[in-house]
Amino acid sequence: MIAPALLALAGTTLYPFVYAFFLSFQNWKLSRSPVPGPFVGFDNYIRALNDVHFWNSVVVTIKFTIVSVSLSIIIGLVIALLLQKSSRFNTVLRTLLIFPFAISPALKGFTWRFMLNPYFGILDSIIDFLFPPLADVVWLGGAGTALFWLAVTEVWGWAPFIALVFIGALDSMSQDPFDAAKVDGASALKTFRYVTLPMLRPIIVMVTLLKTIFSIKVFDQVVTLTGGGPGAATETINYYVYKTGFKFFDMGYASAIAYLMVVVLFFLALLYLKTVMKEEV
Amino acid sequence: MIYSWKDILWEVVKGIGKALIVLFIFFPIFWLCLTAFKVARDAYSTKIIFQPTFDNFIHIFSAPYNFGPLVLNSLVVSCLTIAIAIPLATMTAYALSRYPLKGKNVLLVWILSSQFVPPVVVVLPFYGLFRSLQLLDTRTALVILNLSFVLSFAIWMIKGFIDALPAEIEEAAVVDGCNQFQTLLRVTLPLIMPGIITAAVFCFIQSWNEFLFALIITEKHATTLQVGLMSLFGDRGIIWEAMAAAGLIIMIPIFVLSITIRKHFIQGLTMGAGK
Repeated sequence: MIAPALLALAGTTLYPFVYAFFLSFQNWKLSRSPVPGPFVGFDNYIRALNDVHFWNSVVVTIKFTIVSVSLSIIIGLVIALLLQKSSRFNTVLRTLLIFPFAISPALKGFTWRFMLNPYFGILDSIIDFLFPPLADVVWLGGAGTALFWLAVTEVWGWAPFIALVFIGALDSMSQDPFDAAKVDGASALKTFRYVTLPMLRPIIVMVTLLKTIFSIKVFDQVVTLTGGGPGAATETINYYVYKTGFKFFDMGYASAIAYLMVVVLFFLALLYLKTVMKEEV
Repeated sequence: MIYSWKDILWEVVKGIGKALIVLFIFFPIFWLCLTAFKVARDAYSTKIIFQPTFDNFIHIFSAPYNFGPLVLNSLVVSCLTIAIAIPLATMTAYALSRYPLKGKNVLLVWILSSQFVPPVVVVLPFYGLFRSLQLLDTRTALVILNLSFVLSFAIWMIKGFIDALPAEIEEAAVVDGCNQFQTLLRVTLPLIMPGIITAAVFCFIQSWNEFLFALIITEKHATTLQVGLMSLFGDRGIIWEAMAAAGLIIMIPIFVLSITIRKHFIQGLTMGAGK
């Protein structure tokens, strides 16, 4: 009964996973040959370690991950705390929180690109109006700002989703500690710091790991928001793999870079599974 | 109860906070919707009041953009993906949930961890394979690739629903004279139907929103809506009012679907951890 699905799963995940591993040790320029070339040992990996573009993509991905993960969690937490009490308004709003998350990442990128356009973008105009000194900034034209807004598009989808996770966790918590804090006369801030936050800790750890994994894999918005630019300022690892493999058709080298990313993701996924499994038992 | 000025201030801060959230979350969607009904001149301004038009929708469905086939491609690929994935996943989930299998934990970890394989790793080897099989730019190729992330996800999700169903119900059916197959078909399946539908909707959304595979594999014939967005370029760069109209077509079905499964949304995406 499980054979068909497992075969399909093996065919679509295990096969490419193993095959890409072999590819990463081969020299294969797809533009010149339809079949993989000779094995070249660790050449592709050594090349990656000496490749400034690769290291650039690593740094970009790390920066993007740090900014998008921390902002998603902080804003998600704020949203959760504001909408935690059940009232009709909050319930409706909670339902609608799914929307930005459900929008396809490709469309997310285009949506923000439109709003940030220096000539007619609504967000650009609003920022110009509120902070006149920033009027001349071309948001997607500068290296730092482009990366920042790339992170914002990601936060836009994920913060509401993370808020929903937090709200679910808060709802299932025992009310006793909160009541006790109230009886003891703790302020809202103190209650948050000494009661809510410690109780949310395990779920925050879990969400951080999950978000980190997804942030490292970011791709779609890079294409539709910035195209990796300006220059290579928003070229994430995933985008660099794509460029190497499907623009320059250097499949062997692309596989090697992809595998370097897989190693990192593997450990994160292991850590995530460990925390999730521990919660379940 | 007497309100101190501190309480009032706190309420005001909370109110402003909520307003900012609403703005941050919904304004981009709202703006995209507005733009979809603007004529070009208005789209390139920040006007809120304007004469609405449906021209943009007509525009993207006619030459040279021809979104009709793209909608069809997206629909066919997404539907075929779930038509294959959901029955397979249901069987597997049932077996994993009900029978003591050797090496079950290894299997479970494998299924879960295949969720974390970056899609670009999947597509690298498949690209060469599809090329030699002449499957590049076909819906078949997209369905195969989509299965790579949909299948494990569906197994995991449906398994959660079966786990939650007490085995006693099935045992009772057997006592009443049902054979195993009848039990499965008449008792278990109807009971886990909500779970199966939820998983199907999820997989549909994921396939519908899929971008990387379609970008790499398709060129002309099998292009999906997501990649079609990239084609909305004109003399002056991106044609934003057309982009907004296309965006609306992409968003609406997903919004409707995500509302229907909102209760299970979190559970699904954190793989059961957000319970």
